[in-house]
Order: sequence, then C-alpha cells, then structure tokens
Amino acid sequence: MAVGISGYGVVIPRLRIKREDYTKAWGTFAAAGVNEKSVLGFDEDILTLSAKVAKRALDSVPTRAVGITRFAFASTSAPYAEKLLSGTILTGLGAPGGTFASEHTTSTRAGTEAILTGFEHVAAVPGGTALVAIADAPTASMWDSLEHAMGAGAAGFVLARAGLIAELEGHASVVSEHLGERFRPKDTDRLRDLNVRKYNEGAFLANVTGASSALMEKLGRKPEDYAYVVIQQPDARAPAGAAGKLGFTDAQLAAGLVSANLGDLGAASTAVGLAAVLDVAKVGDRVLVASYGSGAGSDALSFRVVGERKATVSVAAELARKEYVDYVQYLKIKGAIK
Amino acid sequence: MAHVSVPMYWRTIPQRYRLVGHKCRKCGKVNFPPKGVCKYCNGSSDFEEIQLSGRGKVHTFTLLGAGGAPPEFAEQEKAGGSYPVTIVELEEGPKIIGQMADVSPKDVRIDMAVTAELRRIYTEEGVIRYGFKFVPAEGA
Repeated sequence: MAVGISGYGVVIPRLRIKREDYTKAWGTFAAAGVNEKSVLGFDEDILTLSAKVAKRALDSVPTRAVGITRFAFASTSAPYAEKLLSGTILTGLGAPGGTFASEHTTSTRAGTEAILTGFEHVAAVPGGTALVAIADAPTASMWDSLEHAMGAGAAGFVLARAGLIAELEGHASVVSEHLGERFRPKDTDRLRDLNVRKYNEGAFLANVTGASSALMEKLGRKPEDYAYVVIQQPDARAPAGAAGKLGFTDAQLAAGLVSANLGDLGAASTAVGLAAVLDVAKVGDRVLVASYGSGAGSDALSFRVVGERKATVSVAAELARKEYVDYVQYLKIKGAIK
Repeated sequence: MAHVSVPMYWRTIPQRYRLVGHKCRKCGKVNFPPKGVCKYCNGSSDFEEIQLSGRGKVHTFTLLGAGGAPPEFAEQEKAGGSYPVTIVELEEGPKIIGQMADVSPKDVRIDMAVTAELRRIYTEEGVIRYGFKFVPAEGA
C-alpha cells in the first residue's frame, strides 16, 4: 500500500538580515554561501510558525481529510524546555485533542524523525492521516560564529495513502556516536560547537552518505535516477560535499538549496528544501532527501512525484515576502541586548 | 500591567487562539468576544459557537509607540518600534480590536484586507500568552 505526501506548506518569517550586515558588525560572516537569512519576529516563535504551517498544509489538501489521526511536531528551538507543545498547535487549528501527538526535539534530524513516524502511522492504520509540523529557529550566542548561519522557517506535511503528490519509495537511517559538534548543554538556549572542522565535516559526510547509499542500494537506484536531492543545510556549502561524494551534481541540489536565502533552518532544513522541490517537480521526478542531526545521525527518504498539485503558498512566494532589518535591530529583536 | 490570571486566560483560549465567537439564536448577530447577553438585541443568552474566518478589513487603526505602549508590550515596542493597533471588521460582522503584525506601520490603511493568525502576545510569570494578531491578507 503506497504512502506519501498528500499536502504540504511552508512558512518563512518576514524579516531578513543580509550577509553584509554581519560583515559590517563583525568583519566576517561565517555562513558559507548564505546571502541573507530569515529572522523570527518579536512576536513569533516555533509554535506560532507551526500553527500557521500546519493550517497551510491542511489547506493544500482539496478534499479535506476526514480527520487527523496522528500528529508529529519537530523543532530544536521550542519556547519551553518542558511543557507539551502539540496542544498549542492543535488548539490553534481547532483539531480535536484525541490524537496521539509526538514531539521530536533533540537534534536537527528531528524533522525527518517526525515525517517518518507519520509515515509509520499511515502505513499501519488504514484510513489514517498524519499531520507533521516542523519549525525551527536555532540560537547561539551572538559572540559565536556558529550563530551567523541561523535562520528560521517551517514546513508542514499531510501524509496519507490517497490523493498523493509524492509517494514514499523507501527510507534508510544511520545513527552513530560523534561528540563535540553542535550541542546544547542542559539549561541554556545557546548552541555550542567545539568547531573541530575536519572532524565535524567527517561526521556529516559519514552519516549523510551512509544513510543515502544504504537507501539507494536498497531501492536499486543510482544518483542519476533522481531529478533532485535535498541534503541538510547547516550552511549553503556543506550539502555539496556530501552530494558530490554520493555522485550527485550541483544541478540536482539547486532547487532545494534554500539556505542560500534563509540560512540554517535546523530541523526544518530538509523539510523546507523538500517543499521547494515539490513546488517545481514534475510527475515522475524522483527526490532524495537526507537529513543530518549532530551527535549524530541521518535519515534518507526517497520520493517519487505522482501528482501535479502544488502548495497554496509557494516557497518562492514566501522568499519574496520580506523586510530587511539591520544588525542592531536584529540584536534587539533577538533579545540579545536588554 | 493589566493582569489576567492564567485560569482566566485559559477559559478564553478558544477565542484568543482561533476566534471562536457566539452567534445569537434570537437575532442572528455574531458576538465577539462572547458575551453573557447578546450585545445587539440585549434579549438573549442563547448562543451557538461559531468559528470565525479571521478574515476582515481594517476599520480604523492607531500606532502605539514612544512610551505609549501598555507595560506588557513595552519590550515589544522597545525592540521593534511603534506598532499598529487596529479595529478590524470581520467578514462575519463583529468589529474587534487587535495588534497588526508583519507590516510596516506606514503601510497600514483603512479597508486593507487582513487575516488573523496566532502570535505571542506577551509573557507573564514565565508563561507565554498566545493570541491572534492581524496580518496583511495574502496578496493584499
């Protein structure tokens, strides 16, 4: 029984800051290939983005599903360290509270975790429909160059067995042990990274290529069978390394490379990238998605586009809806000066 | 600060998060926020719950800034500058008050099409109070 994506949507906060504003403030901008990035407004957070993106994903399904039977939420930067979060989103939607809801929060792999748990539900329950809301806006100290890349965005998906836009062909995962790259100690909202560059790159490459090659082997596929590949984007350059090693070209990466204009979207990175690809993909196209979470692990998912339907609001439209802030405004909005 | 206790806030979550109003069974008008007695006919307490669309247009507006913001919004004003507060006439009839977001204050216009969405309103006692704000309607 085929399972797949029957609806999707994205939300990008309206504010942006340019690379030049960082350069003016710090003399340097550490996010490779990122031209500008999205910034959460003062009155926005992961839950407000999630509520909006969940509604958009549902609105993109023409024959509104009978009801959501499974909800999954993903983010690394929720506004509470402890408190159930799904209720804020589902209450905002007016959805009944009798749905099992899971919350995936401990690494940037969380987005694909939520998608895969949604698919597990849909595969197991006839007539089941899963709603997945993935939103992220990672934060670090303004003193840390790790902070430069961090953007904000959200993507939502409706997963079902019928009315599909893209069918899930298969998935594969890797978990491994890597210490010291991108971690957040208890009791702080600031990420840290010991920044051992070659070691970090090695962890990223090993996990992403490990999951992706296992998946392609399982499905009997080669990189050239795919029209698009979407790889975790801690900046706009990292995915190219993993893609190249797997045998993918920059052309296959281009449509889903949202980080060049949005920065590092954390758990929402591959989700927003996938939405950008679905916006332009044609029936028959294949899409490989590979997330990465530090610590470390990767999920790879293979999709085949089977429907022409697109989101009601495209990634391109959200990219165009923007207003710039300068670095001082950025610091104020972020609460970095009080 | 205009203190609203958490239990009081909690009781009004359906109207604050997603604009649930009351339709009077006697005169058919929509009350928002919900009232004990219909404010239009003053003759009925018989209501049915109605999910409002959140769509409407700006009836009138003002800008709050330069220290004019209520204390719970002082930090917001300090971080982001003056902000618009609007009275919006909803499609279903009620005129309701709310902040406007995702817009430069200079771009707010009477009759502008808006839609409601969930935002952070303020934080008190470590608890984030969510509620609706208006944003320009898509394509407006």
